[in-house]
Amino acid sequence: MSDAPHLRPLGRPKPVDVRTDAEGEPTHVRLPGKTARRVEAVREHWRIDDEWWREPISREYRSIVLDDGRPVTLYHDLLDGRWYAQKGE
Amino acid sequence: MSETHRSVHGVPTHPTIGWDQGAAQPRDSGHGWSLFRSPGEGSGAESGSRQALCLWLPTFELRLELVRTPELDSTSVALLSPGESTRRTVWQVSERAHDAGVRPGQLVSQAVSLCPSLTLLEPDPAHYDAATDTLLEVLSELTPVVEPAGRGRVFLGMDGLGRLYGSPTRQAERALRSLFRVLPSPLVAAIRAGMAPGKFGAWVAAASARSGVPVIVTEKELASFLASCPVSALPVDPLAVQRLERLGIATLGELRRFPEPALVAQFGEEGRSALAWATGRRIDPVRPWHRPRPIRVSLDFPTPVGTVATLHGALNRLVERAISRPARRGRSVTAVRLGAYLEGGSSWFVEAVLREPTADREKIASPLRGKMAIVPPPRAVETLIVEFIRFGAPSTQADLFDRREESSRAASGRDLARGEVPGALKDAVKELKLRLGHSPLYRVVEVDPWSRIPERRHALLSFDP
Repeated sequence: MSDAPHLRPLGRPKPVDVRTDAEGEPTHVRLPGKTARRVEAVREHWRIDDEWWREPISREYRSIVLDDGRPVTLYHDLLDGRWYAQKGE
Repeated sequence: MSETHRSVHGVPTHPTIGWDQGAAQPRDSGHGWSLFRSPGEGSGAESGSRQALCLWLPTFELRLELVRTPELDSTSVALLSPGESTRRTVWQVSERAHDAGVRPGQLVSQAVSLCPSLTLLEPDPAHYDAATDTLLEVLSELTPVVEPAGRGRVFLGMDGLGRLYGSPTRQAERALRSLFRVLPSPLVAAIRAGMAPGKFGAWVAAASARSGVPVIVTEKELASFLASCPVSALPVDPLAVQRLERLGIATLGELRRFPEPALVAQFGEEGRSALAWATGRRIDPVRPWHRPRPIRVSLDFPTPVGTVATLHGALNRLVERAISRPARRGRSVTAVRLGAYLEGGSSWFVEAVLREPTADREKIASPLRGKMAIVPPPRAVETLIVEFIRFGAPSTQADLFDRREESSRAASGRDLARGEVPGALKDAVKELKLRLGHSPLYRVVEVDPWSRIPERRHALLSFDP
C-alpha cells in the first residue's frame, strides 16, 4: 500500500524502573542502561485520559529532576501499572 | 446460449426483454457517454475496432460491496453517493430496497422513511477502482483494444478475433469466462453482454441482454434492432431526450421517420447525431485506452488522523515527494488525485484538474486543499495518498529558476521543507545508499503537534531526495 516505510514515531515512551514512597510518588528512577538515581524534585504533575473510544490512554505524568541535574519526564500508566520515561514534553 | 438476431423477414422479431429505462442510461454514465463523441461521423471506423463487445454489470459498486458483506445480500441495502459531505443521497439500491420504494437520488431521510430497515453503506471508491483495474487487465489479455466507459462497463474491440475465438457468440462467451478468474461467479453471471458494430449498438445490445445470455447484432440487423430502442438510450443531452419524448417520439424507430433537416433545425448537431445513431449509420469504433502510469505516493499514520492541519502538512510532504520522483522529472502535472484509506475500512478521494501544467508544490497542493475543504474525509485517515494522474508538456520554468544551481552555501540555507535539497546533502545521501543499500537519514516532521499525547506530535520520515 505505501511506497515508503511508515512514519516512525518519535518520542516513544520507554519502560523504566521506579521506586515510590508510601504515597506513590517516585523516589528513585533507573533509566535504561543507567544506574538508579534519586529524584531530587518533582516540578510538575498532570494527568491524561484520552481516546476512550479507541484504545484508552490513562497516564499520570511527572516532570522530575534527578540528583545529577537531569530533567526527565515520567509517567505512570494507570492501565498497565508500569512507569515510563518519555521525551517530547 | 446467446441470442443471435437474424433478419426480420419471416423469423421471430427482436424480443423486448431487458428494456429497463433505468438500466438504459446508468446514473454514473457521465464519463461513459463522452466516449461516443468521436470526432467526425460516418459509418467507417477511422481507427480502432468497428466490432464492439460491451460488457456491463449494473450496480457494479453495490455488487462489489455485497460480495464483501454477503450477509447483506438478501436485505435492503443502499449505497450512498460518493463525494457528498452534507445532504447525502442514495446512489445504488438492492432489489429489496427497490421493492420498498427506495430509488437512486433520494435523500437518505426519504429512503429511510420508506424503508426503516434499510442498511446504508459508505462508498469505497478505491476498492471499486482497484476492481475495475483488475477487470481491465484481464480483458486486455483477450484483446488489446479495451475502452472503459465508467466503472462496471467496458467496450472491447473484437475486429479480427474470429479466427482466434470463433463466432461472435463464442467471442462473447470467452470474454465472460475470462472474468471468472477475478470475479466471483454470481457477479460474472450478472454481467450483460452485447456485440454489434459500433459502441452504441453494442451498448444497446448489452442493455437489452439477459444476464449470461449475450445479444449479438450483425451489421444488417443493426437498424431494425435499434428501431424498438427507447430514445432515452441515445448518448445525447438529457434535455434533448426529454424534448423528444414530449414530442411523442418514444423510440429510435419513430425518430427515424423525421427528415434530418427537421431534426437539425430542432436540436442542432445533436439531432443529426441522434438520427445517425438511430439508423445505424454512425459507428463509433472502440479505441484503445491508454492510461498514463500515475505517480503515487502515500503515507501511513501510526494512528488515524482527523485534524485538517495535520492532513494539510502530510499533503504538502506527499506532493514534494511525488514531484521529486524520477518518473516525474521533465514532465509537468495537469491532474492530481488525493485519496485516503479511512478508519473503519472505507476510502475517500477527490480529484483536481490544475489550471495550468505545473511542477510547483503549492500550485498542486492548493486545489487539493480546496477540494478537501468542500468534501472532507468522512472519518479519520489511516493512510493518505497523492497521485499525479495526468501529465503535460515538460515544465521548463522550474528549470529556469532552479535555485539548486546556486552556490552550495546559498543552497544549504534553503528551507528543506520546501523540497529544495542542497546538492551536497543529496550527494551524501547517494553515497550512503551505495554503502548501506538504503538511506539511513530521517527528518523530523510534525504529525499532530497539538496532541496531548507526546509520542503523537512528531515522527521520523525517511529522507531520500
